[in-house]
Amino acid sequence: MLAAYVEYWRINLLTMLEYRANFVMWFVFAVFYHGVALAALTVTMLQFPSMNGWNLREMFFLYALWMTAHELHNALFFNVVAVPEYIREGRFDRFLVRPFDTLFQVLTVPAQIFPDGLILAIVTLCFAVGVAGVRVDAFFVAFVPLVVMGGALIDLGISLVIATIAFWFIRVDTLRWVVMSLEQDFTRYPISIYTRAVGIVLSFVFPFAFMNYFPASYFLNKTDVALNLNPAVGLLTPAIGVAWVAVAYAFWRVGLRHYEGTGS
Amino acid sequence: MAAGAYVEFARKAFAREATYRMEVFTLVGSLILRVYLLRSLWTALYAQNAEPPGLPLHSMITYATVALLMSLVLEVDGTRLIRERVREGTIATDLMKPISVPIYFFSDGLGQTLLHALLIVPSLLFALLLVHVDVPPPQTLAAFAFAFLLGYGVNFFINFLMNSVAFWTLETFAMQLIVRWGSDLLSGQIIPLMFFPGALGRFVFALPFAAVYSTPLLIYVGIIPASQWPRYFFIQACWLASFGLLSLWVWTAASRRIVVQGG
Repeated sequence: MLAAYVEYWRINLLTMLEYRANFVMWFVFAVFYHGVALAALTVTMLQFPSMNGWNLREMFFLYALWMTAHELHNALFFNVVAVPEYIREGRFDRFLVRPFDTLFQVLTVPAQIFPDGLILAIVTLCFAVGVAGVRVDAFFVAFVPLVVMGGALIDLGISLVIATIAFWFIRVDTLRWVVMSLEQDFTRYPISIYTRAVGIVLSFVFPFAFMNYFPASYFLNKTDVALNLNPAVGLLTPAIGVAWVAVAYAFWRVGLRHYEGTGS
Repeated sequence: MAAGAYVEFARKAFAREATYRMEVFTLVGSLILRVYLLRSLWTALYAQNAEPPGLPLHSMITYATVALLMSLVLEVDGTRLIRERVREGTIATDLMKPISVPIYFFSDGLGQTLLHALLIVPSLLFALLLVHVDVPPPQTLAAFAFAFLLGYGVNFFINFLMNSVAFWTLETFAMQLIVRWGSDLLSGQIIPLMFFPGALGRFVFALPFAAVYSTPLLIYVGIIPASQWPRYFFIQACWLASFGLLSLWVWTAASRRIVVQGG
């Protein structure tokens, strides 16, 4: 399975080299998308310099951390988002008859996926670490990649749940769009601005706060963390990511069995 | 061609949009979550910083909530049909029909818009559970409605022009999204334009995007006083006229292009 995955990425990279113009286009696209979000944040915080004790530079780091995790998800797992389309067009059924795990096959459908966003995100993160004054030591260097991977897994969990819903309801495009834009809007600010109930939902039901807020609080040495938690909970992000994907995968299996059951 | 046909087109579009009930509910649901988000956000920002002049917290929350409700109507891209028809080539048969095709697209867009306008009612009711929305005096409300109408026109023609690019280059989606994101920020939908500092602030007020969200909203919350209304209406009307004429010209050039190519 690993060999197949390596081969998949080798082909993907060759495709990328073939379509350089597309690569540039998507890069410009990503710059605009995140540029607008960061510009809005900057203009707001010129007027209001403090957001629950977070300044613009720290907010920048908060955004960059979410962005990197999210873009890693887009680079590795974006095909999951296309599952409703595969189902609608009947292309999903062939995955069921092959001797590989269905999800693995979905993840390795040849698609022109360019890691533009991810490259931009890493640049942004490096820059944000610099301006936010994060203390960079060996622990930080070792742990940030794990936080990013954990965050990408949290995102994968959400994509997987939405894809699974498509086994019952064919049209989930609006739902997916709404969830993704709400995720982005709600993770842009420290979750301490929300009421306790919403904070709990964002931490433990849909654990988006672990993608950026908790790890950022830890790395920025924040003392007053939302829900009165110890800042060290930020270190749990990789574990939360794995747990959340495990739950989502179990749900996916249920959906898959339902889908095979109806035989459609 | 009788106006009755265009009313029928609008009715069809309305009915078509109304069939996607699930989507409609999702849309209203997400709007409510957004109202909650904007309340939390602005409350936190006002609690710890100096209040910007002329815009107390209740006005800011009113501004942001009304902007969200406006977006229900303004984010409908009624002229998306042009792009699809051009790509599929069916635009040729549209042009052969005894109708004015641009007015047909406008009617179709209007039908979709009306359905979304109806959604404002439940959305507003739910929003009122979360936030308090100021209601200005009747003449201000009337001025807001008028400015909104002009803004709707400007927005329609901006979309029309964006979609008409499809006549020249088939792939317009990327450019359209970029313009959409830019205009979200520059129209005052996300943040009031007066938060932009100094010269940048004067610049964004001078752009056509300001006519779409900023002008009606600033009239609503009273930042633009009654004495200034004519000035702002005039600017909006100027943009409307310019984009309207530009659209007419682009449309004429585009349809000739299709005929010349043997469509």
